[in-house]
Amino acid sequence: MKWNLLSSRVVLFALVWVFACPSYGQNSDAPKILSNTYYLRNCNVVQKPGTILSNQNVLIKDGFITELGPSAKPTFEAQIISADSMYVYAGFIDGHSNTGITKPETKDRPKVTNPGAPPMDVAGITPHILASESFKSSDKSVADMRSAGFTVSQVAPRGLMLPGQSNIYMLGEGSSDKMLIKSATVQNFALEPARGVFPSTSIAVIAKFRELFKNANIAGTHEEKFKANPLGLARPDYTKEVMSLYPATIKKQTIQMVAGLTKDVHKALTLRDELGFDMTLVEVKQGWHYIDRIKSKNIGVMLSLDLPEEEKVKEVKDSTATKKDILAIKKDTISTKPKIEERKDIERDAFDAKRAESNKQYVSQAAMFEKQGVPFAFSMINGKPSDLKKNLARMIKAGLSENYALAALTTHPAKMMGMSNLLGTVEKGKIANLVVTHKPYFDEKSTIKYVFVDGKKFDYSTPKKPESKSDGKSNGKDGIVGYWSYSAMVNGQSQPGKMNVKKEENGYVIVLTDDSSPNDEDNAQDIKVDGKKLSFYIMADMDQPVKIDIEMTFDGKTFTGTASIPQMGTFNLTGEYISEPKSSQSY
Amino acid sequence: MKQNIYIFAITLTCYFSQALDAQNILIKNGTILTITQGIKENADILISNGKIARIDKNISATAGITIIDAAGMYVMPGIIDAHSHIALDVVNEATSPVTAEVNVGDGLDPLDINIYRALAGGVTISHAMHGSANAIGGQCETIKHRYGTTNPDDLRMEGAPRTIKFALGENPIRVHGEGNKISPNTRMGVEQIFRNSFSEAQIYMKEWEDFKKGIRKSSPEYNLRNETMADILRGNIIIHCHSYRADEILMLMRVLKDYGIKRVCFQHVNEGFKVAPELAAFGASASVFADWWAYKFEVYYSTAYNAAILTRNGVVTSINSDSEELIRHLYHEAGKTQRYGDLTDDEALSLITINPAKQLGIDQRVGSIEVGKDGDIAIFKNHPLSIYAIPQQTLVDGVVRFDISKDVDDVRLDVSPTEKFSTFYENYRSTENDRCMRGISELLMEDSYARFMRFKLSQNHSH
Repeated sequence: MKWNLLSSRVVLFALVWVFACPSYGQNSDAPKILSNTYYLRNCNVVQKPGTILSNQNVLIKDGFITELGPSAKPTFEAQIISADSMYVYAGFIDGHSNTGITKPETKDRPKVTNPGAPPMDVAGITPHILASESFKSSDKSVADMRSAGFTVSQVAPRGLMLPGQSNIYMLGEGSSDKMLIKSATVQNFALEPARGVFPSTSIAVIAKFRELFKNANIAGTHEEKFKANPLGLARPDYTKEVMSLYPATIKKQTIQMVAGLTKDVHKALTLRDELGFDMTLVEVKQGWHYIDRIKSKNIGVMLSLDLPEEEKVKEVKDSTATKKDILAIKKDTISTKPKIEERKDIERDAFDAKRAESNKQYVSQAAMFEKQGVPFAFSMINGKPSDLKKNLARMIKAGLSENYALAALTTHPAKMMGMSNLLGTVEKGKIANLVVTHKPYFDEKSTIKYVFVDGKKFDYSTPKKPESKSDGKSNGKDGIVGYWSYSAMVNGQSQPGKMNVKKEENGYVIVLTDDSSPNDEDNAQDIKVDGKKLSFYIMADMDQPVKIDIEMTFDGKTFTGTASIPQMGTFNLTGEYISEPKSSQSY
Repeated sequence: MKQNIYIFAITLTCYFSQALDAQNILIKNGTILTITQGIKENADILISNGKIARIDKNISATAGITIIDAAGMYVMPGIIDAHSHIALDVVNEATSPVTAEVNVGDGLDPLDINIYRALAGGVTISHAMHGSANAIGGQCETIKHRYGTTNPDDLRMEGAPRTIKFALGENPIRVHGEGNKISPNTRMGVEQIFRNSFSEAQIYMKEWEDFKKGIRKSSPEYNLRNETMADILRGNIIIHCHSYRADEILMLMRVLKDYGIKRVCFQHVNEGFKVAPELAAFGASASVFADWWAYKFEVYYSTAYNAAILTRNGVVTSINSDSEELIRHLYHEAGKTQRYGDLTDDEALSLITINPAKQLGIDQRVGSIEVGKDGDIAIFKNHPLSIYAIPQQTLVDGVVRFDISKDVDDVRLDVSPTEKFSTFYENYRSTENDRCMRGISELLMEDSYARFMRFKLSQNHSH
């Protein structure tokens, strides 16, 4: 690292920063392995949606449910868990996500001589790649998903239009390969354009897909012909990006297509009808216009667990304005012309009502699918595991039945993945993936006590305290929670930025941005709070990842501190309180 | 109050959703500007199942039919815009000088508010085009302004011929030659792109023919770009070419002649007046602006008489918008040809009705008020070529899609649940102004600026 980097623009916070796996909380829910045989005594077993058996005993051995029933007995080595009044569910299954796959570092765009014909990988076409190339069970997202009750994910590689094929993983802590249940389950497709090269737009992605699909079929068919009788035929072309799509063209592999909003769903359905492949729609957020079509064509659906933030019910000040008034403004601007202020309120109220209606539809989507009898699973591309229960509760309030919600988390995805014989219900012989709660899961006050993955126990019964000695009533005025401005003095120059400090269930969440590129967020790691002292580190990308240690001391509405960069030195920081912490949820 | 607003929002939704089915409508006592069959005073139009069933005086109303009283009003065919970029997710795939395989019809946006604004100007059909970044751009889509649907397919004008965007001159040169240091870097290069693409397509067609005949045993590779070029060669796709200079216009006609391609409409074609006889002889048509030029070097020379000169030389000519703002007053743009060129009423109105219909290959279905044609109608208070013209109602397939008496404040069909309250102007500033070069305006700041100034001027005029 050269010193002159410092004199160039921003060193501390302006560059794009990458985050590494945080060490915070990493191992705290790790199973203490005494024996891998467990005996859950006297519990309520929700065997499958709608079937609750009480006074059950469950024996778990070598990763499977080996005994289940009122008379099941523990073996001598079993750890006995007194599960009186607890509820045992099948472990939740996430139908589609990038769990366990770290976001790749932001790289410079590769130089391409002809943007119209870039190399396949630059164009985002890597259908031959499997999730196993990038899945790591040690990634923080695996533990996050598990803490919400997820025990299995169908993991798609990250990428653009054809990122590769999914694998089904258990969300345990064993080595990634040992967590694998099934490989190359589905081919993934998204209307995700490449930057600056063909296909750089959604319509070009569609064109490219059509072409690849046809060529895959031609190439695969040709190979079969060649194998049968090569005489006079050209040698098959084994271009891997093309050949790996062949199974999808003969319906031997399903194409899982990301389709969030209504137009995306339409595009997906149209392509499917045109080319004829088996399809599952995933991460659907606004799919209600097409429920009939999805149903009649027997298309798989995975709904997004990401919901727009809840509408705050707004007090409407003007109680006299009505629909009539709104129309009157248009029709008769002379006699009833309202003051500008008034008019704005009417418009705003109408707008708010429209937006609230829209919000309601997004939240009601799951109920609408249930009402039409379309079974669906959930996908977790945009949803946050910590929001799972809250968002399910909102869907249920909007009309989704608890049984259907549970089915979408268990039996439906198991069936869609063709794994009903091993996953999705609490039955003898199935993989011991379980969620144990102290009250029925959908009860507002229920919490998860244990999650079993592959027969191994993860204990959530004592809620983890954040590594903090603060009193927890920080509100910004006398604490560290809040939205702060900061300024780093680098070589006599001030580098301004913002810092958002939130306190969540699992501890503090701190995000830093630089004013010159406010969209590049950097997550603080290894956060330690001691009274009014705060310390953490961030990973800055300065040609190579550089760890920056930051310490701050808070004094009411200001703070002072230092940032240390290896081989560069320590720089002073100052900051000021701006407001309550911002919700970072961007929809 | 809250309750009332809810009801209001729901009413609005119903207003549009009900309108989706084709209706039977009787338009009474209007002055009918048929375009092709003269003016019919005090006459009625009966629309059955979306088609014009009868044009006559005193047609008696059957029970349950919707009646529109057009007494004192002018009734004309729905206006057609031969060059537009509304209702599209994507305008430019600007990564390659040839992107014939791309189709803007794969990204139609029925939620675009500009469809409604176009209806408010009597426009019932527009030609949703790919941009002009590439010598051979993407395929375009002729859409009907059936605002109210959320399904993109409902916008497609079923049966309309396929069209594709070509572009001459500075845009492809700047994007690819100057931007990416590849061909074309000159006007000669643009010509060569066309010739190469057509020649490659001919070879491609031969390969597939040989395979189908069994001369060749192994299947050739499928190439969507060549497939599209081949369809142009077969005469199945109409070329709409962005053009300015006379020499280039002649160049493309030479190229097309060499490859036996007949159907071409030149867009913008600001120097068309210089080569009007040549255009007429080739059978090429022209779609122009009424009075706009000098927004970049290659278009410094033009005239507001362009449309009139082209028309009088026998070129099928239309006036287009290329803008979501201008599309709302195309009737006014057509009217300018009476100031500049003394066109007759029928000639001027043809520029925005039957002529663009011909250019899009849909003149058997729309563009005039004739029995058997689609029930696409615009009803005006005052003559549409008058400066006092005000569109009253616009019908697409016999369905009222715009009614000035029911024009509510917020007609958006889809509001994001996280949308912020904002005004038109806030939104406008945040979007790029040059729709034709949308997606690449950073390369072409001058264009954007010109559009923006034009927009500002038009705002001043209309207020």
